[in-house]
Parts: sequence; C-alpha cells; structure tokens
Amino acid sequence: MRRALLPLLLTVALLGGCSTPTPEAGPPPAPAGGAAALPGPVPADLALRPAPGTAPAAPAFTGALTDGTPFAAAELWAQRPVVFTFFNSWCTTCASRQAALSELARSYRDRVVFVGVAGADQADEVQDYLRAHQVEYPVVLDDQQTIWRSYAVREPPAVVLVAKGGALLRGWPGGLDAPTLDRRLRELVLAGQP
Amino acid sequence: MRRSIMTLLPLLLAGATGCGAVGATQEAVSPTTVRVLVRDINIRAAGVDCAGTGPYTHFHNRAPYRVLDPDGAAVASGQLPAGTAVAAFAEDLGVERMPTYCEFAVAVRVPQRASYRLEVDGRPALDLTSDSSEGPALVAVVPS
Repeated sequence: MRRALLPLLLTVALLGGCSTPTPEAGPPPAPAGGAAALPGPVPADLALRPAPGTAPAAPAFTGALTDGTPFAAAELWAQRPVVFTFFNSWCTTCASRQAALSELARSYRDRVVFVGVAGADQADEVQDYLRAHQVEYPVVLDDQQTIWRSYAVREPPAVVLVAKGGALLRGWPGGLDAPTLDRRLRELVLAGQP
Repeated sequence: MRRSIMTLLPLLLAGATGCGAVGATQEAVSPTTVRVLVRDINIRAAGVDCAGTGPYTHFHNRAPYRVLDPDGAAVASGQLPAGTAVAAFAEDLGVERMPTYCEFAVAVRVPQRASYRLEVDGRPALDLTSDSSEGPALVAVVPS
C-alpha cells in the first residue's frame, strides 16, 4: 500500500512544483517615506482654527526624503497643518507608539500632514522601522541632526505641531500617544471638531 | 537502522561537543553587570526608556559596545539595551517630567582582569570601576 502511494506522491509533488510561480526579479519597492508618501491636494472643506498671533514662527528647513526627494517644510505648512515626529529606528518608545500614530496619520491624510524626521540613523534600519510600523507619511533623513537642533530636540521621541502658515503651536518632548495627539489636533488646529 | 543510530548518537554528540574545545582552554568567566550613568540632566519622566543626549547620543538602544581588558582586547561585546531615566535629584519636584539621568545596565560575563574599559559605538573607551554595593558590577559615570 505504502509502495503504491509513492508514485502518486511524486506526481503530486512534481505538479505542485510546476504550478509554483517563478519569482521574477522586478524593480525593488520604492523606499517607504519617499515622494510617494507626500500628500495630495488639500480637501476643499478643510476648516482650521486661526493660529494665535503670539505663536512664534516654526524654524523652516529643507532636507531630503528617504528616496532623496528634496523636501521643504514651508511648502507643506503653506497649505495645511503639519505634525513633525522626531524618531530613531532604535527608539523603543517610538516603536511602541508608532502603529497608532501611523493610523492617526492615515486618518488625517491630506488635511494634517505628518512628517517623520529621523536623526543620525542608518537608512536601512529606518526602512525596516517604517515598514514594520506601516508608516505611510513622508520621512526626512536628518543625518547631521540639524533639524533636530533647530527644534531643540535632544532625544526621541518628540512631536511638534505647526499651524497652516508656519506658526509653531506646540512641542512635546518625549512625544505623546496617538489618542492624545488626536485630541490636541482637534483643540488646536481643526475647526468644528468635537 | 534505528538501533545503529542509537548506537552512534552518543558518539556523534561527544564528537560535536569536543569540537568546540579543540585547541583552546576555556577561561573562567564571571557574571557581572556593566552600569553606565549618563548624567545628561535631560527632562524626562522617571522610569521611561531613554538615550543619552548632548555629547552622549551614542548611548542608546542597539548601540554596539565592547568591554576591553587592559591590553585592549575585547572580553565581552554586544548591543546596549535602552537606558532607564532616573531622577537627578532626590527632592520630589511634584511634576511628572523632571531632570533625569539615563542609566544603562547590561549583563555580561568577563574573565578576571586587573581593570576594564567600556567602548560604545567605537568612541573613546570609558574606565569601568568595580562596585559590589548592589551585586557584582562594573560602573562608569559620564561626565565623571
């Protein structure tokens, strides 16, 4: 009986092998956090609270996204509020909060733009981090930590909120979790939000 | 067939075990904890994960380290864990976030040597001092 089954098993194995798709060497996936993660047009119904006149101007900066695309912060906040998340791939607190922040960023996509700023990190480890935590917003590589210093960020995580027009609304050294950030966005920038 | 494998198994295991010790005398090692206190006085909540700041940003989770003996040979190596924020002052300031230091602790096994140094991420090594106040430890404080 066992011997009789052998040809059948071999046949099944061979047929199975034939049906297995041959992996084709396609183009490598686009880096997470690159140009493809930049936002689309601002929704026409976006209603914002006016920024307080006493708020200082956020430090404007330029840099490059993970795929080398030039990035100018002022171009983004000219159209809508921006949340900067300062992080590192090795940061345990960042990692523990990132999935929820990624989801929050998706929920606000095109209305409030999230931008990650990775300070003095390894590009491949940043990619691993972004993919592991489903980060779908643009990420600037701040190799010399000049952006970090301009925002007085000493340690990850940190979150900074900039109003449309460039007013620096709030900064949270140590970061904050997604539900709290969501609540602060409704309080500080989004008009007509419960 | 099964019987022959059972006969050979002890011999195979003995051979495999023996291979690791061929030509080398295993030096005795003792468990200890390397502790580094980074006195960066950064504002944090006590107890949270932390990394060094200012001149000590190379102290962070996953940073490579080596424990060196007086000849500069590595006697232990690995990656640092995240640090833990400890209050810089004993007084209760009544606030959640306070001035803190960032303390790193990593368990290692090292052979007996006259002294040790700690190198983190290829930076200049720090002198480690033996301290048995809370169990065997090799400690460093920066800035000293």
